Amino acid sequence: MLLTSNDKAILDGSRGEVLQKAMEALVQLGEAFDAKDMVDIGYAHVHAGMALYKGDVELIEELASLGAKMKVPSSTNIANVDMGSWKQTNAPEKLVLLQKRAEVAHQSMGTGGCFTCTPYWAGHWPTWNTHMVSIESGVTIFSNSILGALSNRDGYFATYAGLTGRYPRFGYHLQENRKPTHLIKIEASPSGTSDFTALGYAIGLKIINAVPLISGLKLRPNLDELDAMGVGMATSGGMAMFVLPDVTPPYTSENISIENLPTFKINESDLRLVYDDFCNGKEQNFDIVHLGCPHASYEEMKHYAKLLNGKKISNNIELWITTNRTVREMIRNTDLIKSIESSGAKIISDTCPISCHFARTVSPDPKLGIKPPKINAVVVDSAKQARYIRDMIHCPTLFTSTEKAVESAVCGNFIPRW
Amino acid sequence: MSNKQDFFGQPIVHGIATGPALISKKAISFLGDLNITTGEVTGELSDLIGKKISKTILVVPSTRGSAGAWRFIYQLKQFENHPAAIITTELPDPSVVQGAILAKIPIISNLANIISNTILNNATLKVDGRLGKVTVVDDKNNK
Repeated sequence: MLLTSNDKAILDGSRGEVLQKAMEALVQLGEAFDAKDMVDIGYAHVHAGMALYKGDVELIEELASLGAKMKVPSSTNIANVDMGSWKQTNAPEKLVLLQKRAEVAHQSMGTGGCFTCTPYWAGHWPTWNTHMVSIESGVTIFSNSILGALSNRDGYFATYAGLTGRYPRFGYHLQENRKPTHLIKIEASPSGTSDFTALGYAIGLKIINAVPLISGLKLRPNLDELDAMGVGMATSGGMAMFVLPDVTPPYTSENISIENLPTFKINESDLRLVYDDFCNGKEQNFDIVHLGCPHASYEEMKHYAKLLNGKKISNNIELWITTNRTVREMIRNTDLIKSIESSGAKIISDTCPISCHFARTVSPDPKLGIKPPKINAVVVDSAKQARYIRDMIHCPTLFTSTEKAVESAVCGNFIPRW
Repeated sequence: MSNKQDFFGQPIVHGIATGPALISKKAISFLGDLNITTGEVTGELSDLIGKKISKTILVVPSTRGSAGAWRFIYQLKQFENHPAAIITTELPDPSVVQGAILAKIPIISNLANIISNTILNNATLKVDGRLGKVTVVDDKNNK
């Protein structure tokens, strides 16, 4: 791989131990994928350090203790507890204390500590043709498809890229891989974020690891709906990018070519199948209703506040609304938070049901004594949350629209989308 | 007796390891198919179900995708249940490669098909990830 003199200086250890280790790893990654050189990155969304995984917070602490600093603007991904109001989720105290150690380590490295899967709603908004890295697949698809930034679906090495400011040029950092591979004709009329997660999920059931060109939507989706569609297809199909002409830079309805693309149709029954598959009849009485996957935007919080205004959540049911710290701060001392909290709903940041101590697929240090609580079923308004509740919490889900999820929480009976 | 034979594939992750071959004809998911704390394969889609991957040279055609794969590979290492090396046919996902570099598990790709057609389970293999070289130290045929 072609390295600059700066890359070589980092690699030979002249810039210290941490950067050397980071660059060695990035060079190996680049060689594995035949990258011809490295790019300068402008943004890094990095691993939080997760307290529910043995030795994981220590990975970040080790970097911090060696004096590592983020070279580029950066943000932290979702964590395993709400580090502020953790008592309302009954998170074990040992877990909270361990998670807070990661927060301290990130502060010393200069990472923007938003601990969220939606750093864009916390002000991290990479622009067109900015090379970037992201540990969160939802951030990858949002950045590639809506902002026109250039990102792969990364793992831990997003941290190494953030520290060195460099990343091997492969995958979605190459223009040739950012062209549509399939045409998707939408013959359904999705409305609201839950429908758009289902639409994305349905696309990912037809094609995987592809760049779908989305056509046939009657209205331009709003930002929350675009976000929802992206996370849906990233969840079921491993997609890193979609192309929606007049949304995805630089594609417009005039310059787009659809010739010779394999074509798939998505109709109303494909959407309905996604909802039905996540309500398969095995569910018992639900104990939690969840909104905010991915972490809610300010606009979504306004919507929830309107739906909850003057309502009361049914006894023995918890309504969780997950968002990031920035959005939470924006609604502090407003009528929005009054409407939400007086209904009995809980606002939670830094984590969500699948990322908190409910997960059964995690491998915590036995010394923490973590025991996931018994949960009968969870009502969700997101296909992503539904899928991972099944996979990680091993409990049934009930998937419906945002409006009907709120109604379900209020009346205590599940209200399906259709 | 030893019967030395070398195979060459595409070097992916550096490192040297020796261990018994554990051969699968099916793709493996590091997120869904493994019990991290025991190293046992639990995924029903895998033909290795019930077997332990710990300290083996894991020979699989491909890895099934998850952006979180790196974390589970690193967790296998934390619980000392990681494979000694991984040999694949298809190039693994970036996340798998990142996890293996972090956990210091050598990977060679473009080779699993040849190995699984030539070598028996439990044959002792030596893997050199930097050279992309697999040496059969003991093919178990002469026992």
